[in-house]
Formats: sequence, C-alpha cells, structure tokens
Amino acid sequence: MKALGIDIGSLTTKVVVLNNGVIETSCVVDSDDEADTSAKVAVARALGQANINLNGDYYIISTGAGGKATSISQKSKAISSCLARGIYHLYSSARMGIDIGAESGIVFKINERGKLKDQASHDKCAAGTGVFVKQMAKLMQISLEDMSELSLDAKTRPEISGTCAVFAESEVISHVHRDPPTPMADIAAGIYYSIVSRLMALCKRVGIEKDVVVTGGVAQNKGLINILEQELGFKVLVPDNAQSIVALGAAIIAQEQIEKGAK
Amino acid sequence: MTSKTTNRIESIIKACSVILRMIKARPNVRKSEQVYYEILTKYFTRIRDVKQNGDFLAAHTVFFPTEILYAMNIVPMHTESTTWMTALFTGEATELVTAGAEAGLASEICTPHRGIAGAFTIKALPDPDVMLWSNLICDNTAKSGELIMELCGCPGYFLDHPFQESEQERNYLIGELQGMIDFLQDQSGRKMDWDKLSQLVAEMDKQIKLNREICELRKAVPTPFSPQGFLELLTLDYLFPGQPEATLYLETLRDELKEKVNAKTGAVENERFRLMSLFVPPMYLMSFLEKMSHEFGAVSVIEPFFTYWADGKLDPSKPLESVAQKSYMIPEVQMYGPMTDAKIQRVSDLAKQYKIDGAVFYADTGCRQTCALIKLLKDTLSEIDIPMLTLDSDVVDPTMMSQEDIREKFEGFFELLEDY
Amino acid sequence: MLEKFREINLSFPQTSYIKEHISSGKKVIGWLCTYVPEEIIHAAGALPIRITGYQQEQELDDGTAYLYVNNCSFSRSCLQLALRGEYDFLDGIVGGSTCDGVRRLFDLWRKYKGTAFNQILSIPRKFTTQAHELYLSQVTQFKQNLEKHMGVTITDEALTKSIELYNETRALLKKLYDLRKSDSPPISGAEVLEVLDAGFRMPKEAFNDLLSKLINELSESSATHTGRARLAVVGSVLNNPEFIKSIEDQNALVVTDELCTSTRYWSDPVVLDNNKSPLEAISKRYLNNFPCARMYPSDERFDRIIQLVRDFKVDGVVSQIIRYCAPYAHDLPLLIKKLEAENVPILALDVEYGTSGSGQIATRVQAFLEMLEARKQ
Repeated sequence: MKALGIDIGSLTTKVVVLNNGVIETSCVVDSDDEADTSAKVAVARALGQANINLNGDYYIISTGAGGKATSISQKSKAISSCLARGIYHLYSSARMGIDIGAESGIVFKINERGKLKDQASHDKCAAGTGVFVKQMAKLMQISLEDMSELSLDAKTRPEISGTCAVFAESEVISHVHRDPPTPMADIAAGIYYSIVSRLMALCKRVGIEKDVVVTGGVAQNKGLINILEQELGFKVLVPDNAQSIVALGAAIIAQEQIEKGAK
Repeated sequence: MTSKTTNRIESIIKACSVILRMIKARPNVRKSEQVYYEILTKYFTRIRDVKQNGDFLAAHTVFFPTEILYAMNIVPMHTESTTWMTALFTGEATELVTAGAEAGLASEICTPHRGIAGAFTIKALPDPDVMLWSNLICDNTAKSGELIMELCGCPGYFLDHPFQESEQERNYLIGELQGMIDFLQDQSGRKMDWDKLSQLVAEMDKQIKLNREICELRKAVPTPFSPQGFLELLTLDYLFPGQPEATLYLETLRDELKEKVNAKTGAVENERFRLMSLFVPPMYLMSFLEKMSHEFGAVSVIEPFFTYWADGKLDPSKPLESVAQKSYMIPEVQMYGPMTDAKIQRVSDLAKQYKIDGAVFYADTGCRQTCALIKLLKDTLSEIDIPMLTLDSDVVDPTMMSQEDIREKFEGFFELLEDY
Repeated sequence: MLEKFREINLSFPQTSYIKEHISSGKKVIGWLCTYVPEEIIHAAGALPIRITGYQQEQELDDGTAYLYVNNCSFSRSCLQLALRGEYDFLDGIVGGSTCDGVRRLFDLWRKYKGTAFNQILSIPRKFTTQAHELYLSQVTQFKQNLEKHMGVTITDEALTKSIELYNETRALLKKLYDLRKSDSPPISGAEVLEVLDAGFRMPKEAFNDLLSKLINELSESSATHTGRARLAVVGSVLNNPEFIKSIEDQNALVVTDELCTSTRYWSDPVVLDNNKSPLEAISKRYLNNFPCARMYPSDERFDRIIQLVRDFKVDGVVSQIIRYCAPYAHDLPLLIKKLEAENVPILALDVEYGTSGSGQIATRVQAFLEMLEARKQ
C-alpha cells in the first residue's frame, strides 16, 4: 500500500507519493475550479509519470484550501499539521517553522516526534504577508528580486509604521519623496523589517526554539531572510524546493495511517 | 425588518417565544433550557412594558450589582446583553456598530460598547430613566456611561469599583453602593427595601453554591453539560441575580447534570477533547460552535474566568457588605485587579482538576485587558503541557471571522491535540 | 541651554544622571503614570524616574508578543524596553491602576522581569471625600512598603523638603508655560517637550537648576516663534518632541497642551498647611490634579481644557490618541462638543506612541492649518 499526499491550493495542486517512507514521485498541476477535479487530475498525472498502477491500493490524505472538497482522499488534514510533518521529514532538527504565504503568515512549533505542537498566526492583517511585499515593491516601482537584492546593501532601517498596510504605504511614499529621499536600499530593509517584526512577535509568543525552517513563497526572498536571521540571531533553514512540502507532509500522515493499519 | 427608529426589545421576546415553542415540541430537550428562555422572556417583557406599568428603568453595564435594583423595585436593563441579544435576533450587528461610530466612538472602542452607544443613538433600546455604570471590568465599561447619558438625556451614577481588595477598598465600595442607593432613591422616588435585599442576598448565596455544584459535576468524564451551555450561566447572573427563577434554573440544571453523571452519559456522544474556554466565543457563532462540538467530541468543561466562582460567602444579615463581597467573587472579576501568581496558579490547578486536553482563548480584537493575558496564560498552561489555541475573533461582529475560518482553526487544533 | 536637555534625552533610558546616581550607591525607582507621588520616592532617598517607551515609534515585537497587538503601543513600547533589559537598573517599579494598558503592563513586568520592589496603587476614579480617603490609604501603604524595602524611615521633614523641591519644579514649569502665552513665544512646543522629557530622567535638584537657567536665558533672549495658528495638543501620553516639531514645521505654534507628560504632570502644586500631614497634602494634590481621561466626571478635565484654550489664546486643538487608548477615545465625542461650543475646531488624530507625525498625519495637520487660516480671514 502506498501513501499519497495531495495539497490542493487555489493556484496549483501538488501530489507526493511515498513508498515505505521514500518519495517515489511527485508532481504539480494547475488547479481546476473544482477541487475534486484538480485532485483527480493531479493524482492521475503523478501515477502516470511514475508509471505505477495502484488499483486502489493506496491511502490518500488531502489538505490545502480545497482539501476537504475532494472525494478521492480518505481523510483531509489541516495545512499546519502537514507542514510540520513535511518540514520534520526534511530536517529532523526542526523545532519551529515559519510559513509566509501570499495571504497569511503562520508560525508553528514542532515536537521531537515531528508533530505540530503549537501555532500562532495573524488572521486579519495583510501586513506581514506576501501580498504586502508585492504591494510595497510595486509602490517603489521595482521588481521583487531587485528589492530583495537592494535591501542587502541597506545602511539603516527607516521606521515604516507597520501596524497596517495602509499606514505603511503612506510611510513608504513619504520616504521616497523626502528631500533628500531615503535610499531605496534602506526603504526596502525597513519594509522587510516591519514584516519580520510582526513574525517575531508571533515567534516570541510561542517561544523561539532552534532549528527554524522557513517556507512559503516569501522564503525565497533573500533580503527578508537576511533580516529575519539578524533578528533571530541565528541562521534559518530554507528548503530549496519547498513547493511540495505540504503534500509531502500529507503523504507522511497517510503513511502513518497505513502503519496504524488503516484500510 | 423593524423600522430604523423603533426599539428592538420586541424582537427578543418574539425570538424567545419561537425558541420556547421549539423546545416544547422536542421532548428530549433540557428542561433547564426551557426555564432559561422563560426567564429571558420575563426579563425583556418587563423592559418592553416599563412605561405602561409605570416602572422606573435603569440601564446598567456588565457585572453590576443588579440585586440593589431588584430590591428597590427598579427595572434593570443590562446594556451589553440587551444590545447584543437584539442584534442576534435582528441581524443588525453591523448597523449598531456603525451607529456607534457615527456617534463618535473610534475603532479603539470595542465593538460591544460601540454597539451599545449605537443602539441608544438609533433608539434600538428604550431611553432609560437613569444610566448606571461601573469600571468592572475595563476602561470601556468605565467610560461608557457619560456618552449614553448625553445620548438619552438622562442622569447617571458611576459606581467606582476599587482595583484591589484591601479593607479600605471594600469600605469604599460599600460607600459607593450606598451613594448609588441614595441617588436612585432621589431619582426614582422608590425606597430601598433592606429586607428584600437581605432575601436577595440569601438567594444569591444559594445560587453561587449551585454554580459551584454545577462546576463540580462538570468534572465528570464524560462531562454532562452541553458544550457551549456555560453562556447560560453567565447570562443568568447578568440578568436575574438573586431571583427565584434563577434558582429554579440552576436547580433544574444541577439535577439534570446529576442524572447524566450517574448514568455516565456525556453531553456529546463521543467525548474526545476536554477544553478550557478562556474568554467568550463569538455570540453569533454559538449554534455553529455547538454543532461543531458534537461533531468533534470537543466540550468546554471549565471556564476559570466565566463560571468558576471565587471563594467566599454572602451574609444576609449584612446585605450591602454582601453585595460588595459578591462583586469580588464573580468569576470574570478574577481577571480584574492585579494578575497575581495565585490567580495564575488557579488556572493551572483547574486545568489539572478538570482533566483538560487543550485550552481555547477567544482573542476578541477589542478586548485589550483580556488579550494582554494571552502570553501569560499560554506560558502557564504550557508548563503543564497543555496547548492553547488563540482564536482572533470578535464577540459580536460577524465580519471579523467567518464560520469557515473558525472551523479551519479548530480542525487544526484538534489534529494537534490528537497528536499531542 | 536647550542642547543640555536634548543631550540628556539622547542617552535615555539610562542617562548620565541615572548612572551617576547608581554609582553613588543609591537606588532608582521607576514610576508609571502621574497618579504615583514622586515625592515619596524622593523622600526615601531613591531617584524617581518616569518609565516611558522608546523615544521614536518602533517595531514592537516583544511588546506585541506579550501584550498582544491590541494593547496600546505605549504599554507595549515600555514593556519591550523592560524585556530587553533596558530598565534593569531599576530597583523598583510603581504603577497606578490608571487604565487597562498600564495595569497589564504592570502585571507582565512583574511576572517576566520580577523587579525587586513593585507596587500598583488602586486609584479611585472620583474626587469624592471617600475617594480621597481611599487614595490616602494607598499612598500611606506605598510609603510603608517603600520604607520597609529600602530600610529607611520617611520623615515628615524629608517629605516636606521633597514637596518643596517638586513644587519648585512645578512653579518653574508654570513660568516656562507663561512665556508661551505671548504672541511670539521665545520657545517652541517641541523644545518644551524636550525639556519635560529630560526632567523625568534626572534628579529634580539638577533639573530645577537647568530649568531656571533656561528661563532666565529665554526671558532675555530676543528669539521668537510665530506661526499661522496657535495650537493646543491634547490626548494620550506623548514623549516624542518630533511629533510637535512636525506640526510646528508647518508654520504653526504649539502653545500649550493637556498631556500627562506636561501640563497634567506639573499643573497643580502640593499645598502644605499646618492642619495636614505632608502625606495628606501629597495625596490630596495627586488625586485632585488636572485629571486624566480615566476620571469621572469628565467635565473636570474638559473645563480645564477650555480654560487652557482661553488662557493661551488657542485657535485650534490637535487631539492625538494612541490606538487602543480607550479612555481618551471615549471622551472624544464629548470633548468635540464642548470645544464646538467654544468655537474651537479640533483635529482628531489616531496615532502610535512615538510617532514622528510624518506621512498621513502631516497631510491632515496641513489641511487643518489651512482651515484655521481660512477661518481667521
């Protein structure tokens, strides 16, 4: 029996197939409007790619925004549970994870058995998410990549009032139009710092513990990671290809279910 | 839909009568629930008919010594409960909050209190003869009275509740209560009936004991009381302290729970997670949360700051002192005053005694003084290995958090508890 | 002269005066909120300093982690400084049950920093005789606890001396404020706040000395400040002079204020008389002082604001309320009405503690000033 994990996001659907704890295959497809269709297409594609025919001899855990809307899985699980498992699989030293996605930032802790121990998130706040980073880059009229690179040269971090995306916007504009204008590098660092600070508040609420793994789209932003590391006072781990990490975690939960004797 | 200028008390009475009809139609519903809705009906009918009965109406904020009003034959109107019960039944939460904002209250002010000012602005509640308020339990209650006096054109009395419990502070509180009685006698022409107050105090003492018995019964595994039923206990003391109807409710409930404990039947079919609730869940999600509790077998079994009365006894021979004493024993008031090590230890002890699996903190966006305890309580519980879910929410504003959001958070938390 | 005050504030929180005081073997006690009588700390031989947050608006990750995001940035800012060890030089903290933010700040400070001496005073919200009795009992208890902690006896003579010293500060600050009543004051509003901030972070003996010199210098100076409108700043706690400066940079003049860091701090002297003990005199003054928005009835505060507006010939009022500062936010609609009756416009700003007043705030101030100018014509 094989363990499958499916992460059905609003944009892409990811599948990971485990065979006795080893990744056999994985794939990413664009999501369909119907979560159930996405799941079926993705599973068919993954199995096809690996050229395996399971004849129904598999256990599937689904997760993600559409995780509950599919009939293909035996169970659906929360993203954070899967994320914790996925991260632990890659780094058994991980005790804390920070996931910064497009619309949410979440901090969680992982116990020594690789399971979710605690979590905290900002729910009703755009500031501190990927959308916010994009918004700010747009305001500064530079690309995300340039902003990230630039920030590494910052000399200072100007105060960007980060309580709210709206306030932050007017702060950034005033820095750009200041006479003389605040250097772009510093503004970029200031913006990242305001995001990091919000994440740090969450980290401190649950208690910081090493190692820290950062995932989500924003994890690829070197400038932001740099400032996060400065604030934490140590290096964080960023998986190279973290896109399927949630699906991996789901597959691990599926594996656990199989081991428990689930049918 | 009620028109913009009529008061909405009728809507609560109607809703209660519908609920009562439904309860009576279903034989297996708790008898105590029926008593509860009968109490609500009586309470709001009195408010509705205040003018035609020639009664004197006193609006007052939460955790108020309502016994004094009953002893003076004055009709109380609990501003928080009345406002938000009308909103619950008319679906006008957003309108009330907006009206409060238009009256000048900024988003700094929590939605419950913005809504109260809004309710008086649009006359959703009847204008009271007097406004009474105290600083129990936060700056919002402390500051809410003067604007309402202005909006309703009525006089008011601010009951200053001291911060700590020294003898001088207790005496100060008794003086404040006496000052309020004098004020009310002046304004209403009604006299304080001290014998009646003594009776009320005796009844209240009985009710506190019943509350303690109920808490004790809830320790049973599986726990007998319905998952979100604790809100009934709160409302009861908000509206009907010391009243015989409240005793009837509590006795009925106690007997029902006893029966369940003896029969080893739980409130939910398959009890999987025993929860500690910290602060109040969103009111508009109560039935949703109730359903979810059954689905997941998750039950709140103890609420240290909502149902667990502090030690103490009331003495009918000293009625005013006892009213003061009660205000120190109210579960919520344990959040007031300095958050001492003893109070924190009590939370931890209760978690153990009630065999808690996890705690849920409803972080109400507008409630500053409770949210400031999140880290402290989280750390305290984590010392005894109990995880705590912090749920950003709003006790009355439905736009803050949707059912789906809440469900997702809970599902994640239950998974976490399963793995723990 | 003004440079001296600025220098002191630059080394905040541990100023050279504080360092000197500690190295001479003496203790420093921090106080939170103007309902804590400084004279008692001073008479006990300790240096009272005021606990404030970061001078500028800051990212408050520690503060937010402990006090949650919905408590005011003042309490979060103070707590963050404490959590990061910046207040470790304090031997004690004394707070008041003033408002939710401060009482929880006190709770968490006590729990997570465990400063050796800590006390929170129950402060009644009324001005009645009974309220005065209660407050006096709290102040007496505080004096006894402090005596015990420091192993000293606070004599009436020592208290009287401290009262005289603090009254001198109050008298000097009143003189400084009186200078601002002129059509072209010799000192700006931002400079005044700089002076006051320094006063919280140094011994009053030295402060009075510097302050007298400053007043003499100003009285002789020909420097004047003018602006297109005379403003009063009211509302929540404010320490950053940059905020006032950003208003004055738009060619306005801040001539007075109703802030607990200035007018509400110094406005009433302690009245000593032979029928009262010095402690009673202190107690009476602190509860009756120019009230905070927490007090009832609010008219006591409103009436004094109106008086300030008249005395200082104020054209417009700028209300700056820190987000989640409920007492001031609740009073705002009532205050607006009172000022309307006086025909004085008000600009209501939502701010964070430490704000420099740039960005949107500056834009709103500009519009307000233009409106005031248009009214004059």
